[in-house]
Amino acid sequence: MEAAAAAGERVVFAEETEAWMDRAIDMAKEALGNGEVPVGCLMVYNNEIIGKGKNEVNETKNATRHAEMVAIDEVIDWCHQHKKDPEEVFRHTVLYVTVEPCIMCAAALRMMKIPLVVYGCQNERFGGCGSVLNISSATLTDTGEPFQCIPGYRSEEAVEMLKTFYRQENPNAPKSKVRKKECVI
Amino acid sequence: MLMEPDCKRQKTEEPRGASPWQVVPVLSERESQGVTLMPVYAAPVLDKKEASRLVKEVSAIYPLGDYPHLKRVRARGSVDSSHPLEMILCRASGRHQQGALRTLSELFPSGQLDPSGLGTPFLTQVPVYPPLTRRQYEEAASHWPVSFHENKRITQALSGCLFTPSEKTALQSHMELAIQAAQRGARQGMKPVGAVVVDPATGRVLAVGHDCRDGINPLLHAAMVCIDLVACGQGGGAYRYQDYPGCSFLLSANGLDQSSGADGLPYICTGYDMYLTREPCVMCAMALVHSRIERVFYGAPSPHGALATKYHIHSRKDLNHRYEVYRGILEDRCCDLAHLSVPK
Ligand SMILES: [Zn+2]
Ligand SMILES: [Zn+2]
Repeated sequence: MEAAAAAGERVVFAEETEAWMDRAIDMAKEALGNGEVPVGCLMVYNNEIIGKGKNEVNETKNATRHAEMVAIDEVIDWCHQHKKDPEEVFRHTVLYVTVEPCIMCAAALRMMKIPLVVYGCQNERFGGCGSVLNISSATLTDTGEPFQCIPGYRSEEAVEMLKTFYRQENPNAPKSKVRKKECVI
Repeated sequence: MLMEPDCKRQKTEEPRGASPWQVVPVLSERESQGVTLMPVYAAPVLDKKEASRLVKEVSAIYPLGDYPHLKRVRARGSVDSSHPLEMILCRASGRHQQGALRTLSELFPSGQLDPSGLGTPFLTQVPVYPPLTRRQYEEAASHWPVSFHENKRITQALSGCLFTPSEKTALQSHMELAIQAAQRGARQGMKPVGAVVVDPATGRVLAVGHDCRDGINPLLHAAMVCIDLVACGQGGGAYRYQDYPGCSFLLSANGLDQSSGADGLPYICTGYDMYLTREPCVMCAMALVHSRIERVFYGAPSPHGALATKYHIHSRKDLNHRYEVYRGILEDRCCDLAHLSVPK
């Protein structure tokens, strides 16, 4: 991984990035152990985790409750508790997530004006940071601002966990159902 | 707030036919775009009697397998009686450098072709893709003859005949509900955008909502609100809307636990229609893919829209769900909503 990347006014160093990504991978492992979608997602501000997210599609019966959306809500709550301006906080927050954000989440991250997203594996089906569409860097009207991406950290493990999850969930499922399952990331 | 399941929706006293509107289908990117051309080598057929033999021999050497819509031969009509027919020889790319003129012996070096009856090759432009709409067909055919398998449903939709008058009345009344929701939201300082979810199988309105980005949460655009309200109606939901009476849902009549599909997953908008006063953004358009919405009807276009304006997210082959989109429903009144924005 490259030595450093600018995030707003802050500089993110490689060791720091790797340490947070290790935490995200641990979260994904924990989720997998609980039979949940193995995606880990952390929002880090001033070297502090101010938001975490896991996929809550099943609990809420709302197909948009991806880990990133949940984590954004946690950051907003944190801002209210700490009497901080969310806009100012998001501008200096880095998202660490084990899988490339989908098109929807990439647009949401832009609108929150998060400057940097560090992620593990590609999201071949829905990825919004280059895999399907490049929402992260596109020129878009009234849809927040582009953000920088650092992909690829421990991506093999992130992919392997997703594969394991789909195998566990549908040991005998016909192919069509397995494919449908993949839409939860 | 919860809707009374048996409550009759308030009839709106809108002047009927005040401003005319049309349902316009929003087709896929491929269906909406103009014709793309590629260069080919063609040659006049000087002797008509040689034509069928030449077609057979040239097709064996240079098949048009990837371009089954292209007719090999075209008639020149009476424009130039010296050679009534012209035929495509091969693509002018790859090993034939694009744009450079070639002789017959250069194009057919193997000697497998008996060139008698063929004139001097020339370069011309032909359509790369098969035409999907009548408009594309007419444009394509002006360059070179192509075959066209007309999709009757698309033609019908484009001519405005897909919906019956009674269906149009239903579209209008549902969009009126979305407009009212937008107005109610605007009175509470919200962006004047409204949304409605309807089950077309029963005609029931399942959720009515307005934009809450300036209230509950910055990502609660009207479409996101309505997706969540439908989830609330199924016993789920991520947000509470008690401060916003313009946001309401119908509690699922079949109980709270019937939302899972055959595979146990909550694709709760499967089979449903969403009405939006304006074209959704990238986030909302993709949220509707994740939610497996069936059809989207919107009124006003938006510069940040992700359906007709950019991306065509509803009809991308590389996503696992597609939905139909129609725009233009009560377009003028939906456009007028923008003036309701409350200065902060
Ligand atoms: Zn997502
Ligand atoms: Zn939106």
